[in-house]
Amino acid sequence: MVVGNDPEEKAVHPIELVLARLLRLGSLAAAALLAVGIAVMVLGQTELAPKLITAGLLVLLGTPVLRVVAAAIIFVKERDWHFALFSLVVLCAVAAGIYFGKRG
Amino acid sequence: MVTTFIIIFAIGVVAGVIGSILGLGGGIIIVPALTLIFDMPMRTAVAASTVSIIATSTGAAVAFLRDRLTNTRVAIWLEMGTATGALTGALVAALVNQRVLFILFGLLLAYSAYNMFRTRKEHSKSEVVPDAISRRLRLGGSYFDKALGHRVDYQVTRTLPGLIIMYFSGAAAGLLGIGAGIFKVPAMDQVMGMPFKASSATSNFMIGVTAASGAVVYFARGDVKPLVAGPVVLGVLLGAILGARLMLRMKAGKIRLFFMPILAYTALEMIYKGVKWW
Repeated sequence: MVVGNDPEEKAVHPIELVLARLLRLGSLAAAALLAVGIAVMVLGQTELAPKLITAGLLVLLGTPVLRVVAAAIIFVKERDWHFALFSLVVLCAVAAGIYFGKRG
Repeated sequence: MVTTFIIIFAIGVVAGVIGSILGLGGGIIIVPALTLIFDMPMRTAVAASTVSIIATSTGAAVAFLRDRLTNTRVAIWLEMGTATGALTGALVAALVNQRVLFILFGLLLAYSAYNMFRTRKEHSKSEVVPDAISRRLRLGGSYFDKALGHRVDYQVTRTLPGLIIMYFSGAAAGLLGIGAGIFKVPAMDQVMGMPFKASSATSNFMIGVTAASGAVVYFARGDVKPLVAGPVVLGVLLGAILGARLMLRMKAGKIRLFFMPILAYTALEMIYKGVKWW
């Protein structure tokens, strides 16, 4: 039995492509920083290398959070209020987690 | 030093490939490898592993999203559970008995391994009838399965039990530092009736967010050592991109076959941890 065969569901969901682009950008930027950092380390620049690597790790860390923000914006634009609200709940929980986590 | 980097990088690649195919974080490989081979402290290994979860998720998600294997609507619905669960877990961590939790969650995983083994022959999920929430939120999806060569349309059911399981899986991640994907894949596959590949890809998509809030704690404590985490994470990123491509072409049954022993092993390990500390 196939339910929900309406054409709307079959339509292209641009959200996947927008999020894919965002995640690709994040992973490429992080990978580049990490690779340069490791290369610099091997070349003996022991002061600069950890900074570059940490920057790469932080870019990576921010990417999923930005992904939720991007999804929220897309849902608001599409007036998909349920999912906009869900994204907001996720963001608040993550923000609270980060806040409490930083305090130890 | 270069040799060490290469070995750590290689561990990352392996963890990334396996993690992205199975929808897991890959901590099951990274933590033992770093602590056993390099004799690193547990905290350094767990911190590197947590950042690696984000790398697995981000690296693999690009391919999964493009092929529509990731169900973003299901992911955001369930992320409400994982995110609030992780928050609760972190807040009450000091109050609860970890040993009891290890045993409880271990038993839960053992049950889901048994359940997955029992239903291994039932391939057809076409009879899944969406519940009211699923219909209202249009959670059903479809993707083109490259291994089968045709499109798979599916429906999602038991959305509320799924959300509740995600809450506890998030809490387990917050409390015990485990269970990035190991609870999520069976919940979607067995409880919510989603195809295995969609479950794995959606789990992969979700684990990045939970891991990000966990990783902040490790960063703040200074447990993330750039010279360890750097090569691991770079390896995992590459591995995840490769693994995702492989997974798209793999048969769901085969992936399940890899998943089951890992599930059983994790279950036993958790029960053992709980019993050992008694």
